[in-house]
Amino acid sequence: MSTPEDKSTRTHEGTTPSAPHGGTMPAASHEGAPTSTPREGPESAMPGPQHDTHLRAHCTIDADGRITFRLPPTSDEHPRLLLRLRPKKGLPETTVHVLDLETDRADGHRHAVLEPRPVLDEGRWDVYLLPEPGAERRRLRPGLRDLRTLVDGHLRDRPSPVAVRIPYATKDGFLALRAWRRTAHAEARGIDLTDRTMTVTARLHGAGLREDATVRLRLRGTDTVRTIVPRLDGDGRGFSFTAGPGDLRGDGGEATRIWDVFVRPTAEGRPVRLGRLLDDVADRKHVYVYPPIEADGRTLRPYYTVDNDLAIEAT
Amino acid sequence: MKISFLIHNAYGIGGTITTTFNLAGALAERHDVEIVSALRHRERPHLVLDPRVRLRALVDLRKEADDPLHQRPAKVFPPAEYRHHQYSELTDRRIGECLEGLDADAVIGTRPGLNVHIARQAPQHVLRVGQEHLTLDNHSPRLRTALRRAYRRLDVITTVTEADAAAYRRKMWLPGVHVEALPNSVPDPGLPPADSTAKVVIAAGRLVPVKRYDLLIEAFAQVAAAHPDWQLRIYGKGEEQANLRRLIERLRLWNNVFLMGAATPMEAEWAKGSIGAAASNFEPFGMTIVEAMRCGLPVVSTDCPYGPGEIIEDGTDGRLVPVGDRDALAAALLELVGDDERRRRMSRAALDNARRFAPGPVVAQAERLLETAAAARSTGRPAAPQDHRTHSPLAGRGHAARDAAQAAAAGVLRSIRKGRR
Repeated sequence: MSTPEDKSTRTHEGTTPSAPHGGTMPAASHEGAPTSTPREGPESAMPGPQHDTHLRAHCTIDADGRITFRLPPTSDEHPRLLLRLRPKKGLPETTVHVLDLETDRADGHRHAVLEPRPVLDEGRWDVYLLPEPGAERRRLRPGLRDLRTLVDGHLRDRPSPVAVRIPYATKDGFLALRAWRRTAHAEARGIDLTDRTMTVTARLHGAGLREDATVRLRLRGTDTVRTIVPRLDGDGRGFSFTAGPGDLRGDGGEATRIWDVFVRPTAEGRPVRLGRLLDDVADRKHVYVYPPIEADGRTLRPYYTVDNDLAIEAT
Repeated sequence: MKISFLIHNAYGIGGTITTTFNLAGALAERHDVEIVSALRHRERPHLVLDPRVRLRALVDLRKEADDPLHQRPAKVFPPAEYRHHQYSELTDRRIGECLEGLDADAVIGTRPGLNVHIARQAPQHVLRVGQEHLTLDNHSPRLRTALRRAYRRLDVITTVTEADAAAYRRKMWLPGVHVEALPNSVPDPGLPPADSTAKVVIAAGRLVPVKRYDLLIEAFAQVAAAHPDWQLRIYGKGEEQANLRRLIERLRLWNNVFLMGAATPMEAEWAKGSIGAAASNFEPFGMTIVEAMRCGLPVVSTDCPYGPGEIIEDGTDGRLVPVGDRDALAAALLELVGDDERRRRMSRAALDNARRFAPGPVVAQAERLLETAAAARSTGRPAAPQDHRTHSPLAGRGHAARDAAQAAAAGVLRSIRKGRR
């Protein structure tokens, strides 16, 4: 006889065959947003390790984006830390930053500080140890990532350019940084859904809203733009807007359509992307998930792209 | 001492694996320690193992899953064990060979079926320790009967709670076997504790029905209604994921409740919160409760059997609420969410009180256990005076008779059902 407890205790010591981040593979090849970065794919730069001989680096980030890396003691004379912007597939590496690793007097650990400036280019940055000049670089694995100061990062107004860095673990278990660099950025917060509409609350960073601000929904891959008049909070930063099926009608053709969301702060200004970058969540797509709304025979669903930008899927 | 742990699968994620890695790492300070994993399905363990601890596997499922011997049901690993379907003649053979050739002073099993292997197959000169990470009362009568027979040949049985140790002493007739509660340990955190300011409640564990994340989400609806700037983060993966997602959507909580996926280690995630939460119906120990407290989070938990009540001091370092009571869970969460000073005070108490689960005290107890058992072996006396032994042999036999009767009845029922098909 099988008791309910059999079932419950059976689950106590699990084996999870897939990788810890296996569920968050950014799938969509249609994520052709203007700011798209190389996707998390096989990390082909490194041969598959047979033994876990990789060093682990702890890192801590403060509210200004300053990152302190901490490594165990090494015997190397002059070790350094190397950050490289992951190039698109098939392209050569172009951008690296090299940081000196200082020795802590107390315990011999090594640390390096990545200051808020220079601002990192947008993309994914891989982290390596350069044991000594001329030696082969070694990819680092993540230790503890203390990101607690990022959790309420949306509460701090940012100047231009808006620069964001989030240390994260890649799908195959290495330490990397996600960086965003935007002249201005509109941080989406709550999304309220009714039977027919979605209302997005957001806050502009790195620019100011004027009375003639507009929200622009652009059909991805086209010049088709729908314009919505937002409600302004009156502080030049906060705004919200409501979109419904009438705002997302295409030009015929019933295939799935993706609408990217922008705000144009002034009638003459450049559109600013809406996204959600100002907290500790490096990959939001499968964590911040919204149900679809169905209206006029259409299904609309807001979602975050692999780059944490807001988009609306219409089917 | 040379100490070998025998574990189901060191390459997965779970409380038993975590605590075994922790204990093995702490013992490696002064002892020669290895972990033998019966099964293996991936290159590297998910969890980080102290580099001083050696790890080897007996059956590599990536290469040997199709071995004909692996298709035949295990005979040594008891059929009534929960994971019997994952064991086979191949595991029987490999585990048997491993134990026969064991060059160790003590071997420590980490689940019932492996404890049975150890009881039956470990060489005479090796101390035989069986760890119970589940609970006796939740085993089927058939499994209890199998364990009762085999466990007499163990030197020591450790449980993770006093309540379960008491159950073993009361219901098993195991002359000369020392039974003691040895709690799971949690390493000293490598990060400063949480400072109680984050408006984040955190829960972690596999997304399975017994954890009652549905109840937690329902309770959190009341928190979000009163404090919309608070969020609940649930870390883990599992079969309930889709149901929980639907519940979040039905309760319109998508701006406040997040299924974060699995995170290892959890420590940096706990540090982002200021309250821990657990809503389980059943929790043999409650590892995540201790982890959260060690990071400075007071924990609101159901007072389910057996662990939470032995970890949390209600009202001091957390809250205990009745099992399955959504409103009580919500009220306890609201009490902490709405009172910054109370939260801070309980956070400090949680840090202090959870130190008893640090590897130091726990490993010292484990060493004492092993040394006492070794001394008892050499003098031929029972391992230690069993102060708590309140049972009479007759009581133990009574339970044995009842289990045997129930197991037999279950067998009859099964054959009747089969006959009807």
